[in-house]
Amino acid sequence: MSATATRAATPSRAVPAGGSRPSPGRRRRRIKQGLTPWLFLLPALAIFAIFKFWPVLYGMWLSFFEVRPYLGNLWIGLGNFERAVTDPALGSAALHTLIDAAAAVGLSMLFGFLLALLLEGPALHLRLIRTAAFLPVVAALVVVAQLWDVIMYPSSYGMLNSFLGFFGMGPNEFLSDPDQALASVILIQVWKHAPYDMVIFIAGLAGIDRQLYEAADIDGANRWQRLRFITIPALRPVITIVLMLGIIRGLRVFTEVFVLTNGGPAGATEMIVTYLYKTGIELGDFGYASAISTMLLLVTIVATSVTNWIRGRKED
Amino acid sequence: MKPRHRRPWIGAAVVIASALTLSACGGGDDVSTDPGDDTSTAATDAAEVSGPLEVWVRAANDSLVSYEMLFEKFTEETGVEIEVFATLTDFETKLSAAAAARDLPDIVINDASQLGNLQSQGIIRSFDQSSIEGGDDLSDAAWSSVESIDGQTYGVPFSAQANLLFVRTDWLDNLGLQAPTTWDEFVNVAKAFTTQDPDGDGQANTYGVAIPGSTQRGYISWNWSTYLWQAGGEYVEIDGDTVTPVIDSDEAIEAATWFQNLFCTENVVQPGALNATTLETNEAFQTGVVGMYLTGPYNIPTSDGTAVGGHYTVVAPPKAPNGGTSTMAEGTTIYFMVDSEVEAAADAFAEFMITPEAQEIGMVGNPKASIVRLPVNTTVDSTTVRDGDERWGIAQEVYESDGHYEPIAVPQWQEMRQAASDTFNKTISSCGDMSAALAELNQQYEQILS
Repeated sequence: MSATATRAATPSRAVPAGGSRPSPGRRRRRIKQGLTPWLFLLPALAIFAIFKFWPVLYGMWLSFFEVRPYLGNLWIGLGNFERAVTDPALGSAALHTLIDAAAAVGLSMLFGFLLALLLEGPALHLRLIRTAAFLPVVAALVVVAQLWDVIMYPSSYGMLNSFLGFFGMGPNEFLSDPDQALASVILIQVWKHAPYDMVIFIAGLAGIDRQLYEAADIDGANRWQRLRFITIPALRPVITIVLMLGIIRGLRVFTEVFVLTNGGPAGATEMIVTYLYKTGIELGDFGYASAISTMLLLVTIVATSVTNWIRGRKED
Repeated sequence: MKPRHRRPWIGAAVVIASALTLSACGGGDDVSTDPGDDTSTAATDAAEVSGPLEVWVRAANDSLVSYEMLFEKFTEETGVEIEVFATLTDFETKLSAAAAARDLPDIVINDASQLGNLQSQGIIRSFDQSSIEGGDDLSDAAWSSVESIDGQTYGVPFSAQANLLFVRTDWLDNLGLQAPTTWDEFVNVAKAFTTQDPDGDGQANTYGVAIPGSTQRGYISWNWSTYLWQAGGEYVEIDGDTVTPVIDSDEAIEAATWFQNLFCTENVVQPGALNATTLETNEAFQTGVVGMYLTGPYNIPTSDGTAVGGHYTVVAPPKAPNGGTSTMAEGTTIYFMVDSEVEAAADAFAEFMITPEAQEIGMVGNPKASIVRLPVNTTVDSTTVRDGDERWGIAQEVYESDGHYEPIAVPQWQEMRQAASDTFNKTISSCGDMSAALAELNQQYEQILS
């Protein structure tokens, strides 16, 4: 939403400058034009400032304290940050988060793209299947997680295990095995997010000029070549958006892990935000939790900025 | 595809900033006060009692209804109005926010295990036990649960409980077994429940023991504690105000290894136990997946209402090889908050809550939620109040003779319990070396306590 602010403000700056020496009346009009969008945005910005920006900044400020709500906070400088970089539990949570984000985002994009290729088009049956495929996105994450917990029940009469049993596999422990838990959580995230990516890809596909395909046909391009040289390049901006949304989503993954494993077993699925929740909400160590979230915020900003920068370079 | 806004960096940053809000509660100004010193005792002269009294209680739905029955009764008797705030979600976080805003309630009703934590935050008031009218009737065990490390009293106990072993009687009968009384018998029954098809449906779909093995709220070590104390071990030794960790003792290692073997060598624990909170574990027992469950008496009414109702019994937890008979004791405490302007009313409230009348209402006033599990008042008899239900008599007996509280007076206890849980969950999932793991945990405790 806040991005709208910047976007809405930009066109006013793009207004042609007119003559080299504008008359006073014209200048006043220009100032007025510049201010108008901001005035309209003011109520929304004020609400964001109070409920979003201020808490974020305040959380950053608290990172430098040992927070003692009643006795008064103690300034400890970079103490919390030093603790964070040397905390092995946080280190392993960060590693899991990176693996989870990379795998879940990558696979969601891949399956989302394949689904989009399969299900693009105006035909009724495609629309029906698209709706069905999109259902996981609409379902509440907590409910979805609970269902998967039942599906992945770790004994031979669990749903997924009895299915695998037909092929002589299993029973697998899935979420209960430290070696399989992270992969299981990733699988659920892919199932949940791939259709979301699919919808964005479909929108992108619909925007590709059909004439390019026809021209390629005439030139004798095969399916793969059309995909490689027309579809994927045309989708580049869409891919960046999907990737950026995925990174943000991936780095702050919480609900599915919290519901399914709470970071277990043996810390195998501990993520930065589940760890954050434990230190902040369960143990009441707000200063340390604020420091971790501040660091997470900075990493997310850097990661998305880099994505954006690469995108900008590619497009120019 | 060309048009893109000019400043994507700023746009992206702002979007993320809004997406990533950790609503950090707490804070407040950098003012250091010393409210922990407040040992004043309020006058209990009824004539001075005035309200309203702001009470925060960790309850919701049915349990809140039960509390409100008591609150109404109190208002009826004293004329003091009560303003209630009740929640189960993030209760402590909300309390921290209130502390930061210097707007604490007058009374907080919360788990006994919050004692050290609340005391170290300086938000609860100590007082002289003898100033509480009717305090003499409370059991010593209950009073011990509100005593800080420096020997001061920081709350009035309101409800108590001790863990019991729930066992499926029909499964025992089918296999011709008795409820276990020792660790060895416990393992044997568990093995029989797992391998001999006690429910007779021809499928290998039953298990011996239900254990909440998740690290959430420290469940796994919480469940294990009973065995630790039975074997003669402790988490810490408290001498005066020095707290020394002793979790690497031989007794602790014995209890931990035995507990681990239930998972690793005997394979008698329900599937998925290491991710299970009490919610899933209750379900495993109540849906007939598991035949034995070490849990609190609060699960008696809930289990009676399910398919296993009438098909199970409760017994004292099985004894350790050395004959040790401890069991996890817990409770609910009424804490007086500092800065209260209605201390007399707060005292009167606590005095009311421990009267036999109030304790009975708390036990059976609302059959859907018993907020007084076991009465702290020794003049109240559990079995009589609960229409002769012997199971509650057993619960009370076990509590009085073997009840053992966690070291809840240690301010860092929550963090220590979490660390113990992490250690257990991790070591058991890899079936690793318990004595090495406990040695490491002991070192971790030294760090936490330093």
